[in-house]
Amino acid sequence: MAEPVIQARKISVSFGAVRALTDVDISVERGTVHGLLGHNGAGKTTLVNVLSTLIRPTSGTATVAGFDVGDQGHLVRGRIGVTGQFASVDDNLSGRDNLVLVARLLGASSRQARARADDLLTVFGLTDAARRAVRTYSGGMRRRIDLAASLVGRPEVLFLDEPTTGLDPPGRLGLWQIIEDLIATGTTALLTTQYLTEADRLAQEISVLSKGTVTATGTPAALKARVGGASTHLRLAVRADTDRATTLLTRVGFTPVVGGENPVVILPATAPTDLATAIRELERGHIAIAEITMAAPTLDDVYLAVTGTHR
Amino acid sequence: MRWIGAPVHTQIAVLCGRTLRLLTNDPQLVLFSLAQPLIMLTLFSQVFASLADTANFPPGVSYVDYLMPAILVTTGIGSAMQSGVSLVSEMDNGLLKRLRAMPVTPGAVLAARSLADVIRTAVQLVTLVVAATLLFGFHPVGGLLGTVASVLLTLYVNWALTWIFLALAARLRSADAMQMAGSLAMFPLMFASSAYVPVDALPEWLRVVAVVNPLTYAVDAARALTMDTPVGVELLAACATSLVIAAGGMYAAIRAFRRP
Repeated sequence: MAEPVIQARKISVSFGAVRALTDVDISVERGTVHGLLGHNGAGKTTLVNVLSTLIRPTSGTATVAGFDVGDQGHLVRGRIGVTGQFASVDDNLSGRDNLVLVARLLGASSRQARARADDLLTVFGLTDAARRAVRTYSGGMRRRIDLAASLVGRPEVLFLDEPTTGLDPPGRLGLWQIIEDLIATGTTALLTTQYLTEADRLAQEISVLSKGTVTATGTPAALKARVGGASTHLRLAVRADTDRATTLLTRVGFTPVVGGENPVVILPATAPTDLATAIRELERGHIAIAEITMAAPTLDDVYLAVTGTHR
Repeated sequence: MRWIGAPVHTQIAVLCGRTLRLLTNDPQLVLFSLAQPLIMLTLFSQVFASLADTANFPPGVSYVDYLMPAILVTTGIGSAMQSGVSLVSEMDNGLLKRLRAMPVTPGAVLAARSLADVIRTAVQLVTLVVAATLLFGFHPVGGLLGTVASVLLTLYVNWALTWIFLALAARLRSADAMQMAGSLAMFPLMFASSAYVPVDALPEWLRVVAVVNPLTYAVDAARALTMDTPVGVELLAACATSLVIAAGGMYAAIRAFRRP
């Protein structure tokens, strides 16, 4: 069986007294997307920084594309592409010049560099804006030129650090499509995200990261099964009823969580029959419900199911 | 066909080209970097010209001829400091973040910047010499050859000094701190030396500093080259101290730059 393209063993990172990561294990097979799901501060970017050789782990080992990130960093860097929330391109150069620069630094000749740049600009729909300074690009365009820059060298491994944060829905869908096409050509990817839907769509396997540790690993289907399904949000008419509602619902077997704006009681993973039970119980206690909404499983639901705590 | 990394000299050439292109893209920047030394030259030569006719100066030498090597060297220092300031603003540039995750040697990024700044300094120095010759009667005994040698020495010293400022920039990573450190370093260096007046004419306490100031030797050597006077130990001292400064600066700069 082939070695995993990304292999991290007991990676720990401390910044002074702060433990950013503790004993993280990750294993990613070739040609797959591995999703890293977690809130801000969970340690996703720190892990990406370790695997892309930007920082050294305090302890643990990792290999990417067959090379050790500590001792063979230079060899790793020649085989990876990194793209993130903040575009890592030169604002003062044109989109085309940015891509040509990256290509030449990787070893392409001038002619090869220009050809590769033009190809990528076409794929990402940036040909019209190619000669303008990146400074003048819209947010979506900046994200695309950033992704294009990370693909110049046709990397074996792609690190996508929250690539669709801040994009509008069409932008997000467009980027998902591009990523899927890339994976189809054999690229391996590690994707970090806060959105279960994004991980669900793109990843074959997901690791949930919470406060620097991996609390669960599994396929999207397995994780969603653990979560159970949609959660129900009950907005009560009278704020003062919240405590009583929570007590009543707990008594009949729910594990309600109070959160959100106004008095909202959240019932994780509610099946339709359970919903009927909940409403009946509240009615019996003379608690008025102002609004009922059902929401698809969110990251919070995953956290709740996996760690038993709200984030 | 896989591109997994260009050789170091190509990295330096490509990155240097990028910095130079950015410099020339901004005409304001080019004008300012040329204007400043010219203003210095004008002010110093005109304001202090009458002082040249005193016993402390070598007889028969116009103040411009005496002053030029100092202007060249101090322009070189100013340019080196600019190199550090530019690096600080660059550290926030998205491109640098990308380069860290690429097979690009950190030393190459710094070397490219150092090289680009030496090229920019060369343009400044040549402009100065031309302006001084045409406008202020710069007509040194050493002729063109002496002046060229003097410019080359200045460029070498400038190159060595860029590494100190690059090291400072990589360590401090703050524009304000750089400006402060730079000014604190520069003015004593410039005035406690033989740049503007002969060392013997300095008050005792400044003369003590000037004697150990590497810039004194750089200016003395540059001056000797332009005046065609025998140049011996000063040239050696200037080259040697510059080499030590360059080596120390390179080591410190690369170490500080490596940190995320």
